[in-house]
Amino acid sequence: MDIAYFIELLINGALTGMMYGLAALGIVLIYKSSGVPNLAQGAMVMLGAYFAWIAAAQWGIPLPFAIALAVVGMFLFGLFTERFLLRRMVGQPIIMIVMLTLGLEILLRGLGPGLFGAAPKSLDIGIGLAPIIIGDVFINRSYLVGAIVGVIMIGLALLFFRTRLGTKLRAVSDDHVASWSVGISVERAIAISWGLAGASAVAAGVMWGSVQGIDWTLSLLLFPAVAVVILGGLDSIYGVLVAGLIVGILGSVIPGYVDPIVGGGTRDVVTSLIILLTIIFRPHGIFGREDIERV
Amino acid sequence: MTSETAQAEAEPQAATDIVPPLLRMSNVEVAYDKVFLAIKGVSLELNTGGMVALLGSNGAGKSTTLKTISGLLAPERGAVNRGSVELRGRDILPLPPPARVHLGIVHVLEGRHVFGHLTPDENLLAAFPTRGRRERLDELREQVYTYFPRLRERSRTKAGYLSGGEQQMLAIGRALMTEPNLLMLDEPSLGLAPMLVEEIFGIIREINKQQDVGILLVEQNAAAALEIVSDAYLLENGHVVMSGKADVLKQNPDVQEFYLGGTGKVDYHNVKHYRRRKRWLA
Repeated sequence: MDIAYFIELLINGALTGMMYGLAALGIVLIYKSSGVPNLAQGAMVMLGAYFAWIAAAQWGIPLPFAIALAVVGMFLFGLFTERFLLRRMVGQPIIMIVMLTLGLEILLRGLGPGLFGAAPKSLDIGIGLAPIIIGDVFINRSYLVGAIVGVIMIGLALLFFRTRLGTKLRAVSDDHVASWSVGISVERAIAISWGLAGASAVAAGVMWGSVQGIDWTLSLLLFPAVAVVILGGLDSIYGVLVAGLIVGILGSVIPGYVDPIVGGGTRDVVTSLIILLTIIFRPHGIFGREDIERV
Repeated sequence: MTSETAQAEAEPQAATDIVPPLLRMSNVEVAYDKVFLAIKGVSLELNTGGMVALLGSNGAGKSTTLKTISGLLAPERGAVNRGSVELRGRDILPLPPPARVHLGIVHVLEGRHVFGHLTPDENLLAAFPTRGRRERLDELREQVYTYFPRLRERSRTKAGYLSGGEQQMLAIGRALMTEPNLLMLDEPSLGLAPMLVEEIFGIIREINKQQDVGILLVEQNAAAALEIVSDAYLLENGHVVMSGKADVLKQNPDVQEFYLGGTGKVDYHNVKHYRRRKRWLA
Protein backbone atom coordinates (compact mmCIF):
# COMPACT_ATOMS: atom_id res chain seq x y z
CA MET A 1 0.00 0.00 0.00
CA ASP A 2 1.28 3.40 -0.99
CA ILE A 3 1.40 5.43 2.19
CA ALA A 4 1.81 8.76 0.43
CA TYR A 5 -1.37 8.10 -1.57
CA PHE A 6 -3.22 7.34 1.65
CA ILE A 7 -1.98 10.49 3.39
CA GLU A 8 -2.90 12.56 0.38
CA LEU A 9 -6.45 11.17 0.41
CA LEU A 10 -6.59 11.74 4.14
CA ILE A 11 -5.46 15.35 4.08
CA ASN A 12 -7.46 16.40 1.04
CA GLY A 13 -10.46 14.59 2.50
CA ALA A 14 -10.12 16.47 5.78
CA LEU A 15 -9.85 19.76 3.90
CA THR A 16 -12.89 18.95 1.76
CA GLY A 17 -14.70 18.00 4.94
CA MET A 18 -14.08 21.45 6.41
CA MET A 19 -15.53 22.92 3.24
CA TYR A 20 -18.59 20.70 3.64
CA GLY A 21 -18.73 22.11 7.15
CA LEU A 22 -18.92 25.56 5.65
CA ALA A 23 -22.07 24.56 3.79
CA ALA A 24 -23.45 22.69 6.80
CA LEU A 25 -23.00 25.62 9.17
CA GLY A 26 -26.07 27.42 7.85
CA ILE A 27 -28.28 24.42 8.57
CA VAL A 28 -27.05 24.29 12.16
CA LEU A 29 -27.45 28.06 12.63
CA ILE A 30 -31.11 27.87 11.69
CA TYR A 31 -31.84 24.65 13.52
CA LYS A 32 -30.17 25.88 16.68
CA SER A 33 -32.46 28.88 16.96
CA SER A 34 -35.73 27.77 15.46
CA GLY A 35 -35.71 24.00 15.27
CA VAL A 36 -36.26 24.04 11.51
CA PRO A 37 -34.03 21.75 9.40
CA ASN A 38 -33.35 23.94 6.38
CA LEU A 39 -33.17 21.81 3.25
CA ALA A 40 -32.82 24.92 1.09
CA GLN A 41 -29.25 25.48 2.28
CA GLY A 42 -27.78 23.89 -0.86
CA ALA A 43 -29.58 26.36 -3.09
CA MET A 44 -28.64 29.19 -0.74
CA VAL A 45 -24.97 28.24 -1.21
CA MET A 46 -25.49 28.34 -4.97
CA LEU A 47 -27.26 31.68 -4.75
CA GLY A 48 -24.50 33.09 -2.54
CA ALA A 49 -21.94 32.12 -5.17
CA TYR A 50 -24.04 33.71 -7.94
CA PHE A 51 -24.35 36.91 -5.91
CA ALA A 52 -20.58 37.12 -5.43
CA TRP A 53 -20.02 36.39 -9.12
CA ILE A 54 -22.46 39.11 -10.24
CA ALA A 55 -20.83 41.68 -8.01
CA ALA A 56 -17.27 40.70 -8.96
CA ALA A 57 -17.47 39.67 -12.62
CA GLN A 58 -20.51 41.60 -13.86
CA TRP A 59 -20.21 44.83 -11.92
CA GLY A 60 -16.43 44.78 -11.66
CA ILE A 61 -16.33 45.39 -7.95
CA PRO A 62 -13.04 44.33 -6.31
CA LEU A 63 -13.36 40.85 -4.87
CA PRO A 64 -13.37 41.58 -1.10
CA PHE A 65 -16.10 44.18 -1.57
CA ALA A 66 -18.00 41.93 -3.94
CA ILE A 67 -18.02 39.19 -1.33
CA ALA A 68 -19.11 41.66 1.35
CA LEU A 69 -21.92 42.80 -0.92
CA ALA A 70 -22.96 39.19 -1.51
CA VAL A 71 -22.97 38.61 2.25
CA VAL A 72 -25.31 41.58 2.71
CA GLY A 73 -27.48 40.35 -0.16
CA MET A 74 -27.75 36.84 1.22
CA PHE A 75 -28.39 38.14 4.74
CA LEU A 76 -31.36 40.04 3.33
CA PHE A 77 -32.41 36.99 1.33
CA GLY A 78 -32.43 34.99 4.58
CA LEU A 79 -34.47 37.67 6.36
CA PHE A 80 -37.04 37.78 3.55
CA THR A 81 -37.30 33.99 3.41
CA GLU A 82 -38.10 33.92 7.08
CA ARG A 83 -40.46 36.86 6.92
CA PHE A 84 -42.53 35.77 3.93
CA LEU A 85 -42.30 32.00 3.98
CA LEU A 86 -41.38 30.65 7.38
CA ARG A 87 -43.34 33.03 9.57
CA ARG A 88 -46.58 31.96 7.93
CA MET A 89 -45.81 28.42 8.98
CA VAL A 90 -45.56 29.09 12.72
CA GLY A 91 -47.52 26.44 14.53
CA GLN A 92 -47.73 24.12 11.51
CA PRO A 93 -46.44 20.55 11.78
CA ILE A 94 -42.69 20.34 11.24
CA ILE A 95 -43.15 18.13 8.17
CA MET A 96 -44.91 21.01 6.41
CA ILE A 97 -41.99 23.29 7.17
CA VAL A 98 -39.46 20.73 5.94
CA MET A 99 -41.44 20.37 2.72
CA LEU A 100 -41.50 24.13 2.37
CA THR A 101 -37.71 24.40 2.58
CA LEU A 102 -37.38 21.50 0.15
CA GLY A 103 -39.71 23.29 -2.23
CA LEU A 104 -37.62 26.42 -1.92
CA GLU A 105 -34.49 24.40 -2.69
CA ILE A 106 -36.02 23.00 -5.88
CA LEU A 107 -37.37 26.40 -6.91
CA LEU A 108 -34.00 28.08 -6.51
CA ARG A 109 -32.18 25.27 -8.31
CA GLY A 110 -34.41 25.99 -11.26
CA LEU A 111 -34.36 29.76 -10.98
CA GLY A 112 -30.57 30.09 -10.62
CA PRO A 113 -29.58 28.83 -14.08
CA GLY A 114 -32.71 30.43 -15.51
CA LEU A 115 -31.73 33.89 -14.36
CA PHE A 116 -27.97 33.72 -14.67
CA GLY A 117 -27.47 31.29 -17.55
CA ALA A 118 -26.79 27.57 -17.32
CA ALA A 119 -23.12 27.67 -18.36
CA PRO A 120 -20.74 27.35 -15.40
CA LYS A 121 -19.21 30.69 -14.37
CA SER A 122 -15.69 30.85 -13.15
CA LEU A 123 -14.83 32.82 -10.06
CA ASP A 124 -11.14 33.44 -9.59
CA ILE A 125 -10.35 34.37 -6.03
CA GLY A 126 -6.62 34.47 -6.59
CA ILE A 127 -5.61 31.07 -5.28
CA GLY A 128 -3.02 29.48 -7.53
CA LEU A 129 -3.74 26.12 -9.09
CA ALA A 130 -0.35 24.64 -8.29
CA PRO A 131 -0.65 22.13 -5.46
CA ILE A 132 1.37 22.43 -2.31
CA ILE A 133 3.82 19.56 -2.26
CA ILE A 134 5.08 18.15 1.01
CA GLY A 135 7.32 15.18 0.37
CA ASP A 136 5.31 12.95 -1.94
CA VAL A 137 1.96 14.38 -0.87
CA PHE A 138 0.06 16.79 -3.09
CA ILE A 139 -2.28 19.13 -1.28
CA ASN A 140 -4.93 21.10 -3.16
CA ARG A 141 -4.33 24.78 -2.48
CA SER A 142 -8.00 25.79 -2.90
CA TYR A 143 -9.14 23.10 -0.50
CA LEU A 144 -6.59 24.31 2.02
CA VAL A 145 -7.83 27.89 1.86
CA GLY A 146 -11.44 26.68 1.95
CA ALA A 147 -10.73 24.57 5.02
CA ILE A 148 -9.12 27.54 6.77
CA VAL A 149 -12.17 29.68 5.96
CA GLY A 150 -14.35 26.82 7.23
CA VAL A 151 -12.53 26.60 10.54
CA ILE A 152 -12.66 30.38 10.96
CA MET A 153 -16.41 30.46 10.28
CA ILE A 154 -17.03 27.61 12.72
CA GLY A 155 -14.99 29.48 15.33
CA LEU A 156 -16.98 32.66 14.71
CA ALA A 157 -20.22 30.72 15.08
CA LEU A 158 -19.02 29.28 18.39
CA LEU A 159 -18.15 32.76 19.63
CA PHE A 160 -21.43 34.16 18.37
CA PHE A 161 -23.48 31.74 20.44
CA ARG A 162 -21.73 33.02 23.56
CA THR A 163 -22.74 36.63 22.98
CA ARG A 164 -25.96 38.13 24.33
CA LEU A 165 -27.69 37.81 20.99
CA GLY A 166 -26.43 34.26 20.56
CA THR A 167 -27.63 33.31 24.04
CA LYS A 168 -31.07 34.67 23.18
CA LEU A 169 -31.09 32.59 20.00
CA ARG A 170 -30.28 29.47 22.00
CA ALA A 171 -33.01 30.40 24.45
CA VAL A 172 -35.48 30.67 21.58
CA SER A 173 -34.56 27.19 20.36
CA ASP A 174 -35.25 25.87 23.87
CA ASP A 175 -38.66 27.38 24.46
CA HIS A 176 -40.58 29.84 22.31
CA VAL A 177 -43.24 30.71 24.85
CA ALA A 178 -40.75 31.24 27.66
CA SER A 179 -38.72 33.48 25.33
CA TRP A 180 -41.76 35.62 24.64
CA SER A 181 -42.53 35.78 28.33
CA VAL A 182 -39.20 37.44 29.11
CA GLY A 183 -39.29 39.84 26.20
CA ILE A 184 -37.27 38.05 23.53
CA SER A 185 -38.76 38.61 20.10
CA VAL A 186 -38.89 35.07 18.78
CA GLU A 187 -39.68 36.22 15.25
CA ARG A 188 -36.68 38.53 15.15
CA ALA A 189 -34.36 35.88 16.58
CA ILE A 190 -35.39 33.38 13.92
CA ALA A 191 -35.07 36.01 11.19
CA ILE A 192 -31.53 36.79 12.35
CA SER A 193 -30.58 33.12 12.24
CA TRP A 194 -31.84 32.88 8.65
CA GLY A 195 -29.88 35.99 7.77
CA LEU A 196 -26.72 34.51 9.27
CA ALA A 197 -27.31 31.24 7.44
CA GLY A 198 -27.56 33.25 4.23
CA ALA A 199 -24.31 35.04 5.01
CA SER A 200 -22.50 31.78 5.77
CA ALA A 201 -23.82 30.38 2.49
CA VAL A 202 -21.79 33.05 0.67
CA ALA A 203 -18.58 31.76 2.25
CA ALA A 204 -19.42 28.22 1.16
CA GLY A 205 -20.54 29.35 -2.28
CA VAL A 206 -17.42 31.39 -2.98
CA MET A 207 -15.02 28.69 -1.82
CA TRP A 208 -16.76 25.87 -3.69
CA GLY A 209 -17.48 28.10 -6.66
CA SER A 210 -13.81 28.89 -7.05
CA VAL A 211 -13.03 25.16 -7.05
CA GLN A 212 -15.68 23.75 -9.35
CA GLY A 213 -17.20 26.79 -11.08
CA ILE A 214 -20.55 28.35 -10.36
CA ASP A 215 -23.64 26.62 -11.68
CA TRP A 216 -26.61 24.79 -10.26
CA THR A 217 -24.51 21.79 -9.20
CA LEU A 218 -23.30 23.84 -6.25
CA SER A 219 -26.66 23.17 -4.66
CA LEU A 220 -25.81 19.47 -4.63
CA LEU A 221 -23.62 20.34 -1.64
CA LEU A 222 -26.84 19.97 0.30
CA PHE A 223 -26.25 16.23 0.31
CA PRO A 224 -22.85 16.11 2.09
CA ALA A 225 -23.95 19.05 4.25
CA VAL A 226 -26.96 17.09 5.46
CA ALA A 227 -24.69 14.14 6.16
CA VAL A 228 -22.46 16.41 8.24
CA VAL A 229 -25.27 17.85 10.33
CA ILE A 230 -26.94 14.50 10.89
CA LEU A 231 -23.69 12.88 11.97
CA GLY A 232 -22.58 15.85 14.07
CA GLY A 233 -25.96 16.63 15.56
CA LEU A 234 -28.33 19.17 14.10
CA ASP A 235 -27.72 21.77 16.78
CA SER A 236 -24.00 21.38 17.42
CA ILE A 237 -21.34 23.68 16.00
CA TYR A 238 -18.60 21.35 17.27
CA GLY A 239 -20.50 18.63 15.48
CA VAL A 240 -19.99 20.47 12.19
CA LEU A 241 -16.26 20.48 12.80
CA VAL A 242 -15.90 16.84 13.79
CA ALA A 243 -18.51 15.38 11.45
CA GLY A 244 -17.15 17.53 8.63
CA LEU A 245 -13.78 15.88 9.10
CA ILE A 246 -15.29 12.40 9.26
CA VAL A 247 -17.54 12.83 6.23
CA GLY A 248 -14.71 14.44 4.28
CA ILE A 249 -12.12 11.81 5.12
CA LEU A 250 -14.40 8.81 4.59
CA GLY A 251 -15.67 10.39 1.39
CA SER A 252 -12.13 10.69 0.13
CA VAL A 253 -10.27 7.64 1.42
CA ILE A 254 -12.89 5.00 0.63
CA PRO A 255 -13.52 6.16 -2.96
CA GLY A 256 -9.75 6.53 -3.35
CA TYR A 257 -9.41 2.74 -3.04
CA VAL A 258 -12.78 1.47 -4.16
CA ASP A 259 -13.50 3.73 -7.13
CA PRO A 260 -10.78 2.20 -9.35
CA ILE A 261 -12.32 -1.22 -8.76
CA VAL A 262 -16.01 -0.41 -9.23
CA GLY A 263 -15.56 2.44 -11.68
CA GLY A 264 -16.54 5.46 -9.62
CA GLY A 265 -19.46 6.94 -7.74
CA THR A 266 -18.58 5.55 -4.32
CA ARG A 267 -18.48 8.94 -2.63
CA ASP A 268 -22.25 9.40 -2.72
CA VAL A 269 -22.71 5.87 -1.46
CA VAL A 270 -20.41 6.59 1.47
CA THR A 271 -22.28 9.81 2.23
CA SER A 272 -25.66 8.12 2.17
CA LEU A 273 -24.42 5.27 4.31
CA ILE A 274 -23.23 7.82 6.88
CA ILE A 275 -26.70 9.36 6.96
CA LEU A 276 -28.49 6.02 7.22
CA LEU A 277 -26.20 4.48 9.85
CA THR A 278 -26.27 7.61 12.01
CA ILE A 279 -30.03 7.74 11.99
CA ILE A 280 -30.29 4.08 12.88
CA PHE A 281 -27.64 3.92 15.58
CA ARG A 282 -27.37 7.43 16.97
CA PRO A 283 -30.32 9.57 15.91
CA HIS A 284 -29.07 12.64 17.78
CA GLY A 285 -25.70 12.52 16.07
CA ILE A 286 -22.38 12.69 17.88
CA PHE A 287 -22.91 15.97 19.73
CA GLY A 288 -26.60 16.59 19.16
CA ARG A 289 -28.51 17.24 22.31
CA GLU A 290 -31.06 14.89 23.62
CA ASP A 291 -33.91 16.42 25.51
CA ILE A 292 -33.04 16.59 29.15
CA GLU A 293 -35.09 14.17 31.20
CA ARG A 294 -34.73 14.86 34.87
CA VAL A 295 -35.42 11.97 37.19
CA MET B 1 -54.76 83.26 49.90
CA THR B 2 -57.72 81.14 50.80
CA SER B 3 -58.17 80.01 47.25
CA GLU B 4 -54.51 78.97 47.14
CA THR B 5 -54.75 76.73 50.18
CA ALA B 6 -57.92 75.27 48.84
CA GLN B 7 -56.08 74.40 45.65
CA ALA B 8 -53.16 72.93 47.53
CA GLU B 9 -55.53 70.75 49.47
CA ALA B 10 -57.40 69.71 46.40
CA GLU B 11 -54.31 68.68 44.46
CA PRO B 12 -53.34 65.46 46.19
CA GLN B 13 -56.96 64.43 46.09
CA ALA B 14 -57.06 65.04 42.36
CA ALA B 15 -53.74 63.23 41.89
CA THR B 16 -55.04 59.98 43.37
CA ASP B 17 -58.02 60.23 41.09
CA ILE B 18 -56.01 60.85 37.96
CA VAL B 19 -53.18 58.37 38.48
CA PRO B 20 -54.56 55.13 37.10
CA PRO B 21 -53.81 51.85 38.86
CA LEU B 22 -50.81 49.83 37.72
CA LEU B 23 -53.10 47.28 36.11
CA ARG B 24 -56.74 47.54 35.28
CA MET B 25 -58.54 44.76 33.52
CA SER B 26 -62.15 45.43 32.72
CA ASN B 27 -64.74 42.99 31.58
CA VAL B 28 -62.40 40.82 29.55
CA GLU B 29 -63.71 37.85 27.63
CA VAL B 30 -61.27 35.37 26.08
CA ALA B 31 -62.02 32.46 23.79
CA TYR B 32 -59.74 29.68 22.58
CA ASP B 33 -60.19 28.56 18.98
CA LYS B 34 -63.03 31.09 18.77
CA VAL B 35 -65.23 28.58 20.54
CA PHE B 36 -64.22 27.81 24.05
CA LEU B 37 -64.83 30.69 26.45
CA ALA B 38 -62.14 30.55 29.10
CA ILE B 39 -62.91 33.80 30.92
CA LYS B 40 -66.23 35.54 30.66
CA GLY B 41 -65.97 39.14 31.72
CA VAL B 42 -63.17 39.30 34.27
CA SER B 43 -62.36 42.66 35.89
CA LEU B 44 -59.54 43.25 38.29
CA GLU B 45 -57.25 45.96 39.55
CA LEU B 46 -53.78 46.08 41.01
CA ASN B 47 -52.04 49.12 42.42
CA THR B 48 -48.38 49.96 42.10
CA GLY B 49 -46.49 47.82 44.57
CA GLY B 50 -49.63 45.90 45.46
CA MET B 51 -49.86 42.19 45.92
CA VAL B 52 -52.93 40.36 44.76
CA ALA B 53 -53.79 36.69 44.50
CA LEU B 54 -55.98 35.07 41.91
CA LEU B 55 -57.51 31.95 43.36
CA GLY B 56 -59.67 29.24 41.94
CA SER B 57 -59.84 25.60 41.00
CA ASN B 58 -58.64 23.91 37.81
CA GLY B 59 -60.03 25.49 34.68
CA ALA B 60 -61.37 28.54 36.47
CA GLY B 61 -59.50 30.83 34.07
CA LYS B 62 -56.60 31.92 36.24
CA SER B 63 -53.82 31.13 33.78
CA THR B 64 -55.85 32.54 30.91
CA THR B 65 -56.17 35.80 32.81
CA LEU B 66 -52.39 36.03 33.18
CA LYS B 67 -51.83 35.13 29.53
CA THR B 68 -54.25 37.84 28.50
CA ILE B 69 -52.16 40.37 30.37
CA SER B 70 -48.79 39.11 29.12
CA GLY B 71 -50.02 38.53 25.56
CA LEU B 72 -49.19 34.82 25.47
CA LEU B 73 -52.65 33.77 24.33
CA ALA B 74 -51.78 33.78 20.65
CA PRO B 75 -49.56 30.66 20.64
CA GLU B 76 -52.50 28.75 22.11
CA ARG B 77 -54.94 30.20 19.60
CA GLY B 78 -56.67 32.31 22.20
CA ALA B 79 -58.08 35.74 21.48
CA VAL B 80 -59.67 38.56 23.45
CA ASN B 81 -63.28 39.06 22.34
CA ARG B 82 -64.05 42.13 24.39
CA GLY B 83 -62.86 44.15 27.34
CA SER B 84 -59.69 46.10 27.97
CA VAL B 85 -56.39 45.68 29.77
CA GLU B 86 -54.57 48.83 30.77
CA LEU B 87 -51.16 49.32 32.31
CA ARG B 88 -51.09 52.70 34.03
CA GLY B 89 -53.96 53.81 31.83
CA ARG B 90 -52.37 52.61 28.60
CA ASP B 91 -54.18 50.04 26.51
CA ILE B 92 -51.79 47.12 26.08
CA LEU B 93 -53.95 44.63 24.21
CA PRO B 94 -52.63 45.54 20.73
CA LEU B 95 -49.00 45.06 21.82
CA PRO B 96 -47.02 41.85 21.14
CA PRO B 97 -45.57 40.08 24.19
CA PRO B 98 -42.01 41.50 23.98
CA ALA B 99 -43.34 45.06 23.87
CA ARG B 100 -45.33 44.39 27.03
CA VAL B 101 -42.17 43.13 28.73
CA HIS B 102 -40.48 46.43 27.84
CA LEU B 103 -43.37 48.23 29.54
CA GLY B 104 -42.63 46.22 32.67
CA ILE B 105 -44.98 43.24 32.58
CA VAL B 106 -43.38 39.87 33.11
CA HIS B 107 -45.03 36.49 33.33
CA VAL B 108 -43.50 33.53 35.17
CA LEU B 109 -45.13 30.62 33.42
CA GLU B 110 -46.75 27.66 35.06
CA GLY B 111 -44.39 24.70 35.00
CA ARG B 112 -41.35 26.98 35.19
CA HIS B 113 -40.26 26.81 31.55
CA VAL B 114 -36.58 27.48 32.19
CA PHE B 115 -34.25 27.29 29.20
CA GLY B 116 -33.12 23.75 29.95
CA HIS B 117 -30.00 23.67 27.79
CA LEU B 118 -28.71 26.98 29.12
CA THR B 119 -27.00 27.44 32.47
CA PRO B 120 -28.71 29.63 35.09
CA ASP B 121 -26.19 32.35 34.24
CA GLU B 122 -27.23 32.17 30.59
CA ASN B 123 -30.92 31.98 31.49
CA LEU B 124 -30.54 35.29 33.30
CA LEU B 125 -28.53 36.77 30.44
CA ALA B 126 -31.15 35.74 27.89
CA ALA B 127 -33.84 37.71 29.73
CA PHE B 128 -31.72 40.85 29.93
CA PRO B 129 -32.31 43.40 27.15
CA THR B 130 -29.70 43.09 24.38
CA ARG B 131 -28.84 46.77 24.53
CA GLY B 132 -28.75 47.01 28.32
CA ARG B 133 -25.58 48.16 30.05
CA ARG B 134 -23.04 45.63 31.22
CA GLU B 135 -22.95 47.05 34.78
CA ARG B 136 -26.73 46.85 35.03
CA LEU B 137 -26.59 43.21 33.96
CA ASP B 138 -24.09 42.42 36.70
CA GLU B 139 -26.13 44.32 39.28
CA LEU B 140 -29.34 42.53 38.40
CA ARG B 141 -27.65 39.15 38.29
CA GLU B 142 -26.08 39.81 41.68
CA GLN B 143 -29.48 40.76 43.03
CA VAL B 144 -31.06 37.54 41.77
CA TYR B 145 -28.27 35.49 43.35
CA THR B 146 -28.78 37.36 46.61
CA TYR B 147 -32.44 36.42 46.63
CA PHE B 148 -31.65 32.85 45.61
CA PRO B 149 -28.17 31.92 46.86
CA ARG B 150 -28.77 28.34 45.81
CA LEU B 151 -28.74 29.39 42.16
CA ARG B 152 -25.30 30.89 42.47
CA GLU B 153 -23.92 27.51 43.55
CA ARG B 154 -25.40 25.89 40.47
CA SER B 155 -24.85 28.75 38.06
CA ARG B 156 -22.83 26.58 35.67
CA THR B 157 -25.07 23.50 35.54
CA LYS B 158 -27.56 23.21 32.71
CA ALA B 159 -30.87 24.46 34.04
CA GLY B 160 -32.60 21.30 32.85
CA TYR B 161 -30.77 19.38 35.55
CA LEU B 162 -31.78 21.66 38.43
CA SER B 163 -34.36 20.49 40.94
CA GLY B 164 -37.95 21.66 40.65
CA GLY B 165 -37.50 24.24 43.38
CA GLU B 166 -34.30 25.57 41.86
CA GLN B 167 -35.99 25.83 38.48
CA GLN B 168 -38.82 27.79 40.02
CA MET B 169 -36.30 30.13 41.63
CA LEU B 170 -34.54 30.52 38.32
CA ALA B 171 -37.82 31.29 36.55
CA ILE B 172 -38.57 34.04 39.07
CA GLY B 173 -34.99 35.34 38.95
CA ARG B 174 -35.06 35.37 35.17
CA ALA B 175 -38.24 37.44 35.26
CA LEU B 176 -36.54 39.94 37.57
CA MET B 177 -33.84 40.50 34.93
CA THR B 178 -36.41 42.43 32.91
CA GLU B 179 -36.85 44.93 35.78
CA PRO B 180 -40.63 44.54 35.95
CA ASN B 181 -43.28 46.78 37.48
CA LEU B 182 -45.73 43.94 37.38
CA LEU B 183 -44.60 40.41 38.18
CA MET B 184 -47.13 37.71 37.40
CA LEU B 185 -46.53 34.29 38.90
CA ASP B 186 -48.48 31.26 37.72
CA GLU B 187 -48.55 28.51 40.35
CA PRO B 188 -45.07 28.99 41.78
CA SER B 189 -45.80 26.35 44.42
CA LEU B 190 -46.69 23.63 41.92
CA GLY B 191 -45.03 20.35 42.78
CA LEU B 192 -42.81 21.78 45.51
CA ALA B 193 -42.35 20.59 49.08
CA PRO B 194 -44.14 22.72 51.71
CA MET B 195 -40.84 23.98 53.16
CA LEU B 196 -39.76 25.18 49.76
CA VAL B 197 -43.13 26.81 49.11
CA GLU B 198 -42.69 28.78 52.29
CA GLU B 199 -39.18 29.83 51.28
CA ILE B 200 -40.23 30.93 47.80
CA PHE B 201 -43.30 32.78 49.05
CA GLY B 202 -41.11 34.58 51.58
CA ILE B 203 -38.83 35.73 48.79
CA ILE B 204 -41.78 36.82 46.66
CA ARG B 205 -42.95 39.00 49.51
CA GLU B 206 -39.44 40.41 49.89
CA ILE B 207 -39.27 41.24 46.18
CA ASN B 208 -42.61 42.98 46.47
CA LYS B 209 -41.48 45.08 49.43
CA GLN B 210 -37.93 45.92 48.36
CA GLN B 211 -38.55 46.73 44.75
CA ASP B 212 -42.06 48.07 44.81
CA VAL B 213 -43.06 45.54 42.17
CA GLY B 214 -46.76 44.83 41.81
CA ILE B 215 -47.38 41.11 42.11
CA LEU B 216 -50.22 39.09 40.68
CA LEU B 217 -50.09 35.61 42.12
CA VAL B 218 -52.06 32.72 40.70
CA GLU B 219 -52.35 29.85 43.13
CA GLN B 220 -54.26 26.70 43.85
CA ASN B 221 -52.60 26.66 47.23
CA ALA B 222 -54.99 29.29 48.56
CA ALA B 223 -53.97 28.91 52.19
CA ALA B 224 -50.36 29.80 51.44
CA ALA B 225 -51.28 32.58 49.02
CA LEU B 226 -53.74 34.31 51.37
CA GLU B 227 -50.97 34.52 53.97
CA ILE B 228 -48.83 36.87 51.88
CA VAL B 229 -51.19 38.92 49.70
CA SER B 230 -53.26 41.93 50.68
CA ASP B 231 -56.18 41.28 48.35
CA ALA B 232 -57.52 38.34 46.40
CA TYR B 233 -59.92 37.54 43.62
CA LEU B 234 -61.77 34.27 43.45
CA LEU B 235 -62.34 32.88 39.98
CA GLU B 236 -64.87 30.23 39.15
CA ASN B 237 -65.85 29.13 35.64
CA GLY B 238 -64.37 32.23 34.08
CA HIS B 239 -66.08 34.70 36.42
CA VAL B 240 -64.83 36.64 39.39
CA VAL B 241 -67.20 35.37 42.08
CA MET B 242 -65.67 37.06 45.07
CA SER B 243 -62.98 39.59 45.81
CA GLY B 244 -61.69 41.56 48.75
CA LYS B 245 -59.08 41.81 51.47
CA ALA B 246 -57.22 38.59 52.14
CA ASP B 247 -58.07 38.72 55.87
CA VAL B 248 -61.77 39.01 55.14
CA LEU B 249 -61.73 36.24 52.56
CA LYS B 250 -59.96 33.93 54.96
CA GLN B 251 -62.92 34.23 57.35
CA ASN B 252 -65.53 33.60 54.67
CA PRO B 253 -67.14 30.18 55.28
CA ASP B 254 -67.43 29.37 51.57
CA VAL B 255 -63.79 30.15 50.97
CA GLN B 256 -62.86 28.00 53.94
CA GLU B 257 -64.99 25.18 52.68
CA PHE B 258 -63.76 25.18 49.09
CA TYR B 259 -60.24 26.54 49.19
CA LEU B 260 -58.87 26.22 52.68
CA GLY B 261 -59.80 22.62 53.30
CA GLY B 262 -63.00 23.10 55.27
CA THR B 263 -63.70 23.62 58.95
CA GLY B 264 -63.52 19.98 59.88
CA LYS B 265 -67.24 19.69 60.55
CA VAL B 266 -68.42 18.59 57.14
CA ASP B 267 -71.31 16.22 56.88
CA TYR B 268 -69.92 13.93 54.22
CA HIS B 269 -73.29 12.49 53.46
CA ASN B 270 -74.42 15.83 52.05
CA VAL B 271 -71.18 17.05 50.65
CA LYS B 272 -71.94 16.51 46.99
CA HIS B 273 -75.26 18.16 47.20
CA TYR B 274 -73.84 21.04 49.16
CA ARG B 275 -71.10 21.62 46.63
CA ARG B 276 -73.46 21.59 43.75
CA ARG B 277 -75.71 24.13 45.41
CA LYS B 278 -72.83 26.39 46.32
CA ARG B 279 -71.10 26.50 42.97
CA TRP B 280 -71.24 29.89 41.36
CA LEU B 281 -72.49 28.98 37.95
CA ALA B 282 -73.30 31.86 35.71
